[in-house]
Amino acid sequence: MERAKELELPAIALADRNGLYGVARFHTSGQRIGVKPHIGAEIAVSDFGNRRTPPSWLPHQIPPEPPRLVLLCASQVGYQNLCQLITRFKMREATKAEGAATLDELEEFSQGLICLTGGEEGPLAAALAQDGLAGARATLNRLTSIFGRGNVYVELQRHQLREEECRNQALMGLASELGIPVIATNGVCYATKEDVSLLDVFTSIRHHTTLDKAGRLLAMNSARYLRSAREMISLFRDVPDAIANTRIVSERIAFTLDNLGYEFPHYPVPEGETMDSFLEKRVEEGVRKRYGSAAKQHLLNKARAQVKHELALIAKLGFAGYFLIVWDIIRYCQKNGFLVQGRGSAANSAVCYALEITAVDPIGLELLFERFLSESRGEWPDIDLDLPSGDQREQVIQYVYERYGSLGAAMSANVITYRGRSAAREVGKALGFDEEQLTRLASLVGHWEWRGPNDTMASHFDHAGFDIRHPRIANYLDLCLRMQDLPRHLGQHSGGLVICAGLLNRVVPIERASMPGRTVIQWDKEDCADLGLIKVDLLGLGMMAVLKESIELIPHHYGQSVDLATLPEDQVVYETLRKADTVGMFQVESRAQMASIPHNAPERFYDLVVQVAIIRPGPIVGKMMNPYMRRRQGKEEVTYPHPLLEPVLKRTLGVPLFQEQLLRMAMTVASFSGAEAEELRRAVGMRRSMQRMKDLEGRLREGMSRNGIGAEAQDNIVQGISSFAMYGFPESHAASFALIAYASAYLKVHYLAAFTCAMLNNQPMGFYTPAVLIKDAQRHGLRVRPIDVQKSEWLCTLETEPDGSISLRIGMNYAKGLRKSTAEALAAERVRSGHFSSVDDLTFRVPSLNRKELVSLARIGAMNAIGGIEHRRDALWQVEQAGRPVGPLLNEIRDRDANSSPGPLRRMTNEERITADYAGTGLTTGPHPMAYHRAALRSEGILSADDLATYRHNQLVRIAGCVIARQRPGTAKGFVFLSLEDETGISNVIITPDIFERDRTTITRSRFLDIQGLLQNNDGVIHVKAQTIVPLDITSAEVRSHDFH
Amino acid sequence: MIPTLYACVHAAEFPAQALLRLRTDLRLQPVVVLEGKPPQEIVCSLNRLAKRRGLVCGVTRHDAEETGGIHVLARSAEVESSAASVLLEYVSRFSPRIEVASSNLSYSCVLDIAGTERLFGPSKELAERLHSSLADSGFRTSIAVSQNYHAALMKAHASRGINLIPTGEEAGALADLPVSALDLSEDHLETFVLWGIATLGELAALPEVELVMRFGSDARIWHELSRGIATHVFRPFETALRLEETYEFEDPVEQMDSLLFIGTRMIECLSHRAANHMLSISSLSIHMRLEDRSAHQLTIRPALPTTDRKFLLKLLQLELAAHPPQSAVVALTISAEPGMSRKMQLGLFAPQTPEPSRLDVTIARLKALVGEDRVGSAVLDDSHRPDSFHIESFSIDGKPFALQATSPHIALRRIRPAMPVRVVIHGSKPAAFRMEESSFQIKEAYGPWRTSGCWWSTSQWDAEEWDVLAMNASGESRACLLLRDCLRNEWRLEAYYD
Repeated sequence: MERAKELELPAIALADRNGLYGVARFHTSGQRIGVKPHIGAEIAVSDFGNRRTPPSWLPHQIPPEPPRLVLLCASQVGYQNLCQLITRFKMREATKAEGAATLDELEEFSQGLICLTGGEEGPLAAALAQDGLAGARATLNRLTSIFGRGNVYVELQRHQLREEECRNQALMGLASELGIPVIATNGVCYATKEDVSLLDVFTSIRHHTTLDKAGRLLAMNSARYLRSAREMISLFRDVPDAIANTRIVSERIAFTLDNLGYEFPHYPVPEGETMDSFLEKRVEEGVRKRYGSAAKQHLLNKARAQVKHELALIAKLGFAGYFLIVWDIIRYCQKNGFLVQGRGSAANSAVCYALEITAVDPIGLELLFERFLSESRGEWPDIDLDLPSGDQREQVIQYVYERYGSLGAAMSANVITYRGRSAAREVGKALGFDEEQLTRLASLVGHWEWRGPNDTMASHFDHAGFDIRHPRIANYLDLCLRMQDLPRHLGQHSGGLVICAGLLNRVVPIERASMPGRTVIQWDKEDCADLGLIKVDLLGLGMMAVLKESIELIPHHYGQSVDLATLPEDQVVYETLRKADTVGMFQVESRAQMASIPHNAPERFYDLVVQVAIIRPGPIVGKMMNPYMRRRQGKEEVTYPHPLLEPVLKRTLGVPLFQEQLLRMAMTVASFSGAEAEELRRAVGMRRSMQRMKDLEGRLREGMSRNGIGAEAQDNIVQGISSFAMYGFPESHAASFALIAYASAYLKVHYLAAFTCAMLNNQPMGFYTPAVLIKDAQRHGLRVRPIDVQKSEWLCTLETEPDGSISLRIGMNYAKGLRKSTAEALAAERVRSGHFSSVDDLTFRVPSLNRKELVSLARIGAMNAIGGIEHRRDALWQVEQAGRPVGPLLNEIRDRDANSSPGPLRRMTNEERITADYAGTGLTTGPHPMAYHRAALRSEGILSADDLATYRHNQLVRIAGCVIARQRPGTAKGFVFLSLEDETGISNVIITPDIFERDRTTITRSRFLDIQGLLQNNDGVIHVKAQTIVPLDITSAEVRSHDFH
Repeated sequence: MIPTLYACVHAAEFPAQALLRLRTDLRLQPVVVLEGKPPQEIVCSLNRLAKRRGLVCGVTRHDAEETGGIHVLARSAEVESSAASVLLEYVSRFSPRIEVASSNLSYSCVLDIAGTERLFGPSKELAERLHSSLADSGFRTSIAVSQNYHAALMKAHASRGINLIPTGEEAGALADLPVSALDLSEDHLETFVLWGIATLGELAALPEVELVMRFGSDARIWHELSRGIATHVFRPFETALRLEETYEFEDPVEQMDSLLFIGTRMIECLSHRAANHMLSISSLSIHMRLEDRSAHQLTIRPALPTTDRKFLLKLLQLELAAHPPQSAVVALTISAEPGMSRKMQLGLFAPQTPEPSRLDVTIARLKALVGEDRVGSAVLDDSHRPDSFHIESFSIDGKPFALQATSPHIALRRIRPAMPVRVVIHGSKPAAFRMEESSFQIKEAYGPWRTSGCWWSTSQWDAEEWDVLAMNASGESRACLLLRDCLRNEWRLEAYYD
């Protein structure tokens, strides 16, 4: 589009292959730039046979595929027909595939479409090559009979190729003979000539070959670039009609995507009701339920007033259907016992709270509705629902499909673009690098969030031993950089469901997703938002699954039941949070959270809301965190930009943190309406239009002057608003997350076994590995039992110990290499016929266990409870023989062996056991690897994590441990943060950029480190600022670290 | 039973040793040897000083160079081969019966030294002499002597200096060696690690039958190896057959006949010697030292290995006629590369077909005449590059050739090599061109037809073709294909249209 603008082209058409994938972006950028965007697609038609390929005597690898026609949408009907046509043949395929239309389908959906006959990939070229002029004539006649004489144009392209020109001459003759107009196009594939190299690379990637071997698959020359009008006129000077017709066709195309014809579905309401009245009743019921209790009675009137205000706006904007549809999904979840909670700005709405879409009380928390919905926004509300990830979320998605029909709802797509690593791999493949080289290259492309001056592609290549002066490498580097952010493929959005009244396939084509049972539209979520398509996000949240599983486990094992909606404000929980003892807790477990939460020292729910919001790149970059924390600790006076703002900013100690506060500030000081304030936030936040911002600033200042605010205070307020608008966090979203964070903290503190069990069963999730979660739980007194074939299920379970305490049994899902079906068969057999008496008994009764699985189980000690096995190596010795048929000669010895003394192998040492545990399960339930070496470490002056609290600020200390997390946050200017774990806890290390550069290999590769540095104790938050870092040779166990966050 | 005694010589890090043997200046420096093609090179071998700097095999050139003060050498197959020959020459002074047991990165050979006491004294003395003689020639080796072949081999691999294993004490001597000394698969090694079996001694202590029950018959061999009782059939190394004849003329020879006269005799001898070993000659290298102190080199490579003296002579004659020496010949050396004789089973009832080698001979003669890469079938490439083809060897697939009906086309007569022309451009079209002494006015020009490609490699092309109808001063008109190489901005006359 930008190139079209440079070339001063008045209009340009996009015709993706078998889809409308790019039209949304094409349309929005066309509008922005001022080039008229025409919408169309290249449609493969199977009835035309195969497209033209080189003659058989010429070697080539071009696969047979149907020819493609260009169809342009002249009207909304044409667009709807094109969408339906594409959906029809895409959905005919069993899986995600290109597909092709039939002539009958073309006929059915031909209205409103203009047909161009295509270039070398079109049906005329194929017919000419196959059957000569007679064949081409017949094809052309068929097309005119389908689309109508005035709607077919014979396409002429000139790429300076002999065969093409020969074809052009034939087609011009044919067009004149049949009285069909010709049109000049260029079959554009890239913006400028130089981009042909990218096209060639994409071609190689698509055909899974290298550039050297691609041969005739590649472009013959670089002529398919965007040409200027003058260039096209000169190229077709002998066929002026072909140029003139481009203008005529462009003028005939009246359709743009502004006129999509999309409508959100209506919710079916009982007779005599409107959607508004039905919604009002449901909300009233909800208000009574939510605020009817004695504790909330005082809020009832306020809530009624608020919902009245909200309902009036919802009715005015015509959004009642949307709320009812989301309410319907919530009801489905409640009926089926699924946990569900709305996140994001929806939590500002009392209507959402009343409908139980959200769980945060916006009245009690004084949240601002206008952040969610305002009249001037011209946008649909956005409600995201968090569901337990996994099967339950899938069930809800299938419910929506069922409710709105397979052509009425579909997932939104997700455009996956080339990033450093994927570009490095695929360009490398195209250039013919071997697998080993590719792996090395791809592994070198760092995923650190912060990129230092040396983190360029060139330096990565240099590190890998590639000479960047080598021509192939230089090309590689250049291509990798140019590929960044270009689309790679279309994935499925994690949870965005687009719902439509009537047929969604008339608005956007729908196709099969790779996942069975799912359909996906051809646009991603941004495109949907730009074009006003409404989606409901059904997001999978691991912690929701953990909460759900925990509250199911608790009644069985603790004899109590927990209602997440009515958790009490518990001081023990806040005490735990204040100590930053938060491993495993939602949102507050990260290293940065742990480092700040003692400063914030939460005492009530709202402190947690602030805590969740403040450790974000926005507030950190916006320099809000430190002033807030200082004020919180009483180290800085609480001041306000103006006394009028005190009520607005009081909760956050005068530091604006939340987007809602910005709105309230504008409303308070300048008497803005809620809608105007939201407009101001968006204008400043998005920085979309300087003019718009200036206008709003003028209005803001006017309002402030009217309210008697002086010039200096005005400057302060304007400055404050503009600096924080970019970085503020929605209070409602923070509150929703804080609810989950509190629930997770509550469950961990009071029901550690159930919470840990649920955490382990819902991996991967959170910040720490299962190994760290287990060690943390053990430090908190939980007994964790290892995998045992006599007791373990597939998932982790809880057991009651003889002393009545509850312990956690690791499930067989943690045994690497063990298939789920086998583990389940084992557990079922154990239930059916009791414990296994010997290894032979196990292999006999569970025949699906193969040798590798037996070895895996034996190695991790899972067979130690089987009779005749004293230790892991006994089991290893026996499993090597178990299941192996032996001849009659050895049978006697085998029988003797089975009854004789244990095997000849010695017991594993502690080190061997730890190594086997980590290799076989990724964790150990035994002592921490560091525990075995504590005495030796102490004698060398190495402290443990819990020792550090007893040392003074700025004292030189030496610590050691297992690296459990490495971070290089984007906001930390190259500083690296390590978390080291030992048997007593976790210690935190700060590494300056220069030390990181010096010891990069040790820091990034060593599993255990010995670090010396100055201790920093800031009000109980302890760090060690590293001075020397050396690898520590403690164990060869493969412990894992969670890196690159 | 005949008493046996073996001495194994093991040279570790052989790629580095081979290179450093003659580079005495680098002996006290840390050195690594790289293998692989730039820009992908990794360390494959290194000396002790480099190891002390923390380097290991497998690191990249970049990592090695970053360590600082490291000398980097490239691996050389020639140097290693020559060093191996020297080492073999030295050890062969101690026993004529030697079995080579080398790997990619080390060199090992086992000497059968039974009965050498009278010549070299007790085995300890022999080992010391052997060690010191190899050390003098620049090799750092370890030597193990045992009556068991495998025990000597494994011990020499795993130890330094000289190790004598007394008869009957093999198991004890091997007990400390790691199980990796056995040639085990990854899977088996992993199992032994899991079992905590780290040494051969621990392996030997396991009950043999139960091991066999778990691993099959291989376990018996491992068990015997670890106890030093595995047997071995000795396969002595034989020096390679070297087919070479040299003749120095008393006076420089200019006459081809005289040269051929001697050459004939030499080829007769060579083919006779090859036939004695049931071999044929697959190629002949003719090296002539000339009077002007230069050299003249020729190679004859028949399509099939042969001992046909007359045929080889004919090829020699053709080759000499095609590439005669520029000066009188002082000395002539002919060396032959041996190849396997061609064997063919004829069917009793199969009809006699012409001797297939006759085609080969003809092709060989053609190749001798026009060059190796210029005889065969032309095959079009899968490429847009104009006139892109390669030559493949003739092959007969036995399928009948189907003639396809084709419509008449204009014939294109390619000019090879294309003829450079000077072109006058008028209004972005060629208007005239000059070729050698003739000038042509272009009456009609169609084009340009453009192709480009291979932008990622040095064989990149970007060409513009014009079909022109041209006429010279005498009114002679020609339809030509002109090509402009856009990368070099050069014009060529590529072809005529007939």
